[in-house]
Amino acid sequence: MSQRKRASNTQSSQNKGSQRWEAVLGDDEDDPSFTQPSTSQVQKGLDRLTPAQVDLKTAEVVQFIFVKDQKKFPIRRADIVKHVVKEYRNIYPEIIKRVGCVFETVFGLKLVEIDSKNHVYILINKLEQGVTASLVFPSNPKTGLLFVILSIVFMKGGVVKESMVWNTLKKLRVDQGERHEIFGDVKKVVTDEFVRQRYLEYVRIPHTEPLEFEFRWGQRADMEVSKVKLLEFIGQVRHCRLPG
Amino acid sequence: MRRASRGGDESGTGAPRQNGVSGARGGARGAAADRGDTVAGGDDDEAGCSPADMQDEDNDPARRREIRSKYRDLINSVQQNREDMLSPTNNKLTDVLEEANKLFAEVRQAREAALDAQLLVLATDLGKEKASQLHAEGSAFDPAAFAEHLLSFMGLNRLEEEDEDVEGGASGGYLPQDAWQRVANRAQRCFRTAPSFHYMMGSFLAELPPPRQRVERQRKVPGKEAKRIMPTQLKRMEESHQEATEKEVERILGYLRSYFFDDPTSPISYYEFVIDPTSFSRSVENIFHTSFLVRDGLAKMYLDNHKLPCIAPVEEGEVEAGGASNRQQCVISISPKSWKELIEAFDITEPLIHAPSTQHTE
Repeated sequence: MSQRKRASNTQSSQNKGSQRWEAVLGDDEDDPSFTQPSTSQVQKGLDRLTPAQVDLKTAEVVQFIFVKDQKKFPIRRADIVKHVVKEYRNIYPEIIKRVGCVFETVFGLKLVEIDSKNHVYILINKLEQGVTASLVFPSNPKTGLLFVILSIVFMKGGVVKESMVWNTLKKLRVDQGERHEIFGDVKKVVTDEFVRQRYLEYVRIPHTEPLEFEFRWGQRADMEVSKVKLLEFIGQVRHCRLPG
Repeated sequence: MRRASRGGDESGTGAPRQNGVSGARGGARGAAADRGDTVAGGDDDEAGCSPADMQDEDNDPARRREIRSKYRDLINSVQQNREDMLSPTNNKLTDVLEEANKLFAEVRQAREAALDAQLLVLATDLGKEKASQLHAEGSAFDPAAFAEHLLSFMGLNRLEEEDEDVEGGASGGYLPQDAWQRVANRAQRCFRTAPSFHYMMGSFLAELPPPRQRVERQRKVPGKEAKRIMPTQLKRMEESHQEATEKEVERILGYLRSYFFDDPTSPISYYEFVIDPTSFSRSVENIFHTSFLVRDGLAKMYLDNHKLPCIAPVEEGEVEAGGASNRQQCVISISPKSWKELIEAFDITEPLIHAPSTQHTE
């Protein structure tokens, strides 16, 4: 795979001979026909366009990212280039730089490339969430479920066997074998949705028979979650009185 | 160590585990020779310095099988009792390793060594987990207790009688509907999530027409039931509303002109002209239609010597296009009471404007 990437990177013209790579690699690879243009190429590209055109393209990318971010799945650079940037791809670095600025200065959000190999972005908030926000905008109950899992992993040193998580959730009336009233297919939510959103990592433990997995924090969790605040909440929960 | 002392190993180094590897190599050479031939037990590549009786033991297939079987037992016991081995309360893992070490002393062939290697991998994984457990001991975080506390946070309504029925030792009781919502709202504060994009007010939908129609229908319904006669009257009027007014106005103009030309010098009293002593409503209609004549400049109203209003047609020559500067407006109102007073005052016995031939009422 690294050899293929090298081959496409050494091509001076972006489209030369790259069509065959697209056919070979399919959709789940970073679009190899997109090679990161050099600074001089970017400058040349910018010179040929009016500021208004560049601003418009920037705005389109911002809107695209907003809509794509709704489900909290990471956004691929390939998608941005294919669907929005299109023929402006020769100035992509400049556009993405401006897009980042817009997010920061206008919306107080941060566009982060969490995977520099596969070029995948997420949007996080630069600002802390206040106390009243949760009263005005009730959050998704799934956040509660996620919190429980993240807490367990965190307090157990960063890695936890999945059996421990399921056992704890069972005490909270959440069973991976049964359909939950609120969460539905819990196993899918935890091992698929949360993983795709990069909140959790669900990793196979090697040499286990039968197959076992462990949970770790995902890249999004690393960026979004304040460990201090998490600890505060866990402490608050500990103080809840039990009967007897 | 025991291996090296035997001298059966070709490389003959001191460290036991390294021997295991080189033993495998040595054994491999031997195994390659006798792969299809275990019964014959020809392991001639073995270093010639080993005593004859030891060579027999080494080549004894039953012994080989025994060793392999013991290895497999060890491997199985490690896999089955994984949780047990991990427990910091015992040294079972160490026992297994010692057992394996003993077994290893008798390993001669690649097959046994491979099993030994497999056991070693398992053991090291377990060792790693045990070590990580050591680290976690200090924090003493008990997920089960955390769950119990969290249930309290969620507002679990614990019922004491239910405790025995619940499986797994979990708390019984009724968990409120918004339990997870409560946790989520509080937990959200720990996250720096970007808000999800959504349109503020939803899409625009024009919904005005339907309510209006409904209201209209409702109004019509009581009308239908209350007076069955009225709608037919109204319908007629509405149909030829425009025409009726125009016709009426023309008709009245006709009357006015004919009366005027009968006696041009005698002024026509306005009230005598418009009032119909038999019908108040028709009098009002007459006033209404006459006002059109005045508006269009076809009739004029003036006050006579007695300050009583009079009406007269305007001759063609007198008509000024586009309105005159001496035109004035006035509003005439009439009530049934004043209508009667007028009839008495002017002694009106019959209408000057005869009712139209088409009857309104039946």
